[in-house]
Parts: sequence; structure tokens; C-alpha cells
Amino acid sequence: MNDRARILVIDDEPQLIRVLRTGLKSRGYDVRGASDGESGLETFSDWHPDLVITDLAMPNVDGLEFCRRLRAISQVPIIVLSAKGEEKTKVEALDIGADDFVTKPFGIDELLARIRASLRRANAPPISEATQVTLDVGDFQVNLESRQVKVRGTDVHLTPKEFDLLIYFIKHSGKVLTHRTLLAAIWGGNYLEQNEYLRVFIGNLRKKIELEATPRYIVTEPWIGYRFDPGS
Amino acid sequence: MLPRMLNLRWSGYVGAVGGTALITAVLAPFQQQVNSTTVALTFLLVVLFVALFWGSRPALVASVLGMFCFNFFFLPPLYTLTIAHAENWVALIVFFTTALAVGQLSARAKQRAEEAESRKCEAESLYTQLQAAFERESEAEAVKRSERLKSALLDAVTHDLRTPLTAIKASITTLIDEARGQSVGIQSVTLDSESRFEMLEIIDEESDRLNRFISDLIDLARIEAGELRLRRRWGAVDEIISTALTRAKSLTTNHNVEVKTEKELPVVRVDANAVSEVVYTLVDNAAKYAPPGSSIVIYARRDPVGMVTMAVEDEGTGIDRHMRDRVFDKFFRATRNGDVSTHQPSGTGMGLAIAKGIVEAHEGKIWIESGRNGKGTRVVFTLPIGDDDAPQDGKAVFGL
Repeated sequence: MNDRARILVIDDEPQLIRVLRTGLKSRGYDVRGASDGESGLETFSDWHPDLVITDLAMPNVDGLEFCRRLRAISQVPIIVLSAKGEEKTKVEALDIGADDFVTKPFGIDELLARIRASLRRANAPPISEATQVTLDVGDFQVNLESRQVKVRGTDVHLTPKEFDLLIYFIKHSGKVLTHRTLLAAIWGGNYLEQNEYLRVFIGNLRKKIELEATPRYIVTEPWIGYRFDPGS
Repeated sequence: MLPRMLNLRWSGYVGAVGGTALITAVLAPFQQQVNSTTVALTFLLVVLFVALFWGSRPALVASVLGMFCFNFFFLPPLYTLTIAHAENWVALIVFFTTALAVGQLSARAKQRAEEAESRKCEAESLYTQLQAAFERESEAEAVKRSERLKSALLDAVTHDLRTPLTAIKASITTLIDEARGQSVGIQSVTLDSESRFEMLEIIDEESDRLNRFISDLIDLARIEAGELRLRRRWGAVDEIISTALTRAKSLTTNHNVEVKTEKELPVVRVDANAVSEVVYTLVDNAAKYAPPGSSIVIYARRDPVGMVTMAVEDEGTGIDRHMRDRVFDKFFRATRNGDVSTHQPSGTGMGLAIAKGIVEAHEGKIWIESGRNGKGTRVVFTLPIGDDDAPQDGKAVFGL
């Protein structure tokens, strides 16, 4: 499936488009490039790629505006390319609907890993609570009816909020979730600035599910939010 | 010391009594010689001084005392408080009324003067405070502006360093994966010779770009530090242009480059390498911002004032009038639609700043105009033709 997956690369740097086109083609992807958001949207409409990689700082229609316009018409995975120091813009892009980000300069393997994860998520069948009673993802088995949670085969007792948080993480495995996104999903729109709530609950959840002091499942993305990796 | 004494609470009344007593003591021995008008006027003088120094109440005391002393010592019958003649009654009443009026008016005038002075002091104090506040605000604003500028410059520098680094790193990691001959994740790496060559080419080009950027940074730092030394030699303008165009050949393959110079152009005494760098930068910019197939024209002519004027003109969309000075700021770049951005990909954003530095080091000027028929961009600069007395030699920054 991934062998011929179509990837649209949008960057105002022709050299970056060149290198990504060659690098991704050598891994079996079909790649097209666009130099700004406007032409990126046109290519998207004509070509219907499976994934979009876009720079944030571009002339005319920038990366943020591009994400906004693209999200209005499609749920295609978006990976944004950003520089260190652009955390605010990065968070904004993720809040708008970007799925992941890669910080420049990056090795091709890092980008490829993000591409594979995003395509896997996009191609995975949707998790629907109406039809699915149990979730079995990586090291986690969850019964949504009895609200029982097993991590690596061992029962774990979670409070209702911790349970909701874990379910949200599982349903968005691999995706970068901003603080605002998590707060809005678990506590509602009135708690968007209450990062400390999140920190406390993440801390408690980690104590119950993590094995070591360095988190393996709930990974912190500094200044951005968290990414959930369900493990093997 | 004296003002402090004068300001003492009771000093006014002491002054009123003392002044009246003094005048009485001085004039009493001559009561037969001085007439009543002189005496009355002298007492009025006391009232006036008391009013001026101490205000209305001590002046009132001086008036009453003056009236009694005038009557007792100077109006017949002497040494009594009775008055024999009707005209002396008139004199006494006139004296008293005048003394009261003079006293009150003088005191009021003094009070007003003091109030005006106090208001003036208050206004000055407010003005000083306000000025200090404005200065503090303006210093804070300047610091903020400077911080914003630093941050923008840092962003521009990091963007310009990171972009080629990203292309290099992505290319190298692809080549490494291929060289290892192993699969990455579930994907095997298949690079044909053309792709491999392209990766190497990108690494080469982007390394050059990094090198150019760093060289520009160093040149700009030297210019800003005033360390640009020119190696002035007599040379032909045509040769300078030709050198620049040869260097820019690969950049102008999609444009029609034309050189229009006067036949009798004088030789100029300039640092040929540095001026050639200016022409190269302007041609490079013209090629970047003007559409393929359009013309780039380089002009050179002699001015009547001992200068040579050179210009590079393109047929792009031009630069807005209000942006024309800003494009000489470091890290500002004009986009193809005439806007200015720090995110424009091509160039380092330092070329025009360096060009300006070189031209000004030659005591010339550089500016931007619209091209022919108001379209496109014409960057014009002047250079003095020079003479043998012009500053000599030094370390040449360019062409080393």
C-alpha cells in the first residue's frame, strides 16, 4: 500500500523539494512538489495525495493558512516542517489539524518514520465505540464497557479522567497532541489554558502505566504536547 | 538666610512695628522742618515694603501704626491723638486709606507673583517628570525594538543556515542508507545513478550556499565595523562590468543581458573587485526577481560632477516605493510580487547591504528607481572617478 503512496511536498526551497523528491522516490513513494500554499492546494485538488508535507514559513499562502484551507476540504495526514524556535507556530499548525511535525534539519529516516506512522494511522480502520467493545493496541488492552485496562497483561486501575485520557491517547496513537487539544477533549473548552490539570493527570497516568522513569508510552514533545506510543 | 528670616511667622509684624518706629525716630526730630506730605509718603513707603515682603496682615498693622504715629508725632497738636485742623483730618484719612489700599494691593500682587512662580515651578516639575517618563518609555521602546530586531535577524540567520543544512542532511542520510545496503523500516532504498548524482549535486550546491552565506556574513560584519579597506587602482568600467557578467553567466542563462555604456567613459580609481561584486549582486538579484526571457540592462555613463553613474535594470514587477530603502537592510528580501519578506528562499538577504557598504566606502551613493516606463527595478549607484590623492591601499576585503 505504502509502496506507491502519493506524497505532496510543499516548500519554498526548491532544493528541499529536490532532495525530498529523490529521497522519497528511492523508498518507493510517488512525490510531487509545490513552491507555496496556493499551488500546493491546486496540486492537491488535481492529484489527491495520501499525505502532505509542508513547510511553515512560505511566501503568499504560508503553512498555517495552507493547513487551515486543506483541513476544510480533506482529512489527509499533514506533516509540517518547522525550525527550532517556531514552537508557537508549530502548536498552531497542530491545533489547526496538522498531524505531526519534523524539525529542521532532519535525517531522511526520521521523516520516513513519521510518514509511515501517519500513513498507518490514516489507513487504519476507524475505532468506533459503537461497534467496538475492546481496544487492543500494542501493550494495551481496554474493555470500553467494563472500563477495565490491561497494560502488558496486568490490570491497571484508572480514575475516570485517567481512563478518558488513555482512551483518547490510544485512539490517536503516534499523533502529536497539543495541550489544548487534550484539554478540550477531556475537560472541555473552558479548560484550554489549564495546563497544570493535564500535567497532574499525565503524571498520575504515567505512574500507573510506565515501567521506567523515562516515559516510553506517553512521550513529551517539549512546548507542544504529548505523543502516545502504544508499544509493540 | 535672610529670606528664611523674612519668612518667619512673626517677622512681618516685627518688620511693620520696627519700620514704623524707625521712620518715626528718624523724622520726629525734624517735625518742624518736614511737611505732613513727606511724612505720610515715608510711612506709605514702610507699608509698601512690609506688604511686599510679608503680605497683607503685617501691611495692615503697618498702616494702623503709621496712622497713629503720623497723628501723634507729626500732626498738631503734637503728642496727642487729637487733630486741630480739618485739613489734617483729611490728610490722615487719605493717608490711612492710601496705606490700606497700597498694602492690600501690594500684598495681593506679591501673592499672585508667588502663586504664578509656584505654578511655574509645578509646571516645570511636571514637565521634567513627563520628559523623564517619555525618555524612559522611549528607552524601553528602543530596547524592545532592538530585541525584536535581534530576534528577527536571528530568525533570518538560523533560517538561512538551517535550510541548506536540511537539504545536506536529508541527502547524506539517504546516501548512507543506500551505502549500508540495508532496509529502513519496511522500505528498501533504491537509488539509481542519476538520483545518487543528484543527491551529491545537492550536497555540493548547498555547501556552496552555506559558504556564500558565511562569507557574506563576514563581509557585512567588516563593513558594519568600518573595517572595509579598499585597494584602489585605475581601471576601466567596461572591464569591471565584464568581470561581473562572466561570473554571473550561469545565473543569467534565461535572461537577455545587455550592456549600454558611453563610448568615452573615463577610467575610475576604485577597488575593481569590490565594484565588480556590486554589479554581480545587482545582476544576480535582477535574474532572481525578473521573469525568464526578460531583459537585464547594465548602464554606465559619466556625470558632469566627476562621477560615473552605473545602473542595473530589470523587467520584473519592481519594488514598492516605500520599500526601496528597506531592501538595503540586511536580511530583507524583495519577493517576486514586490513585497518584502525575510523568508524568501533565494539569496542571503545581505547582497544589497554589502553593495551599499562598498559603494559608500567609495564615497558613492546607491538607490532604487523604477525601470523604463515605470516598470521593473533600476538599481543605480555612483562612483567618484577619483584622483591620485584618493586614500591608498589597505587590506582588500573582496577578492581575497
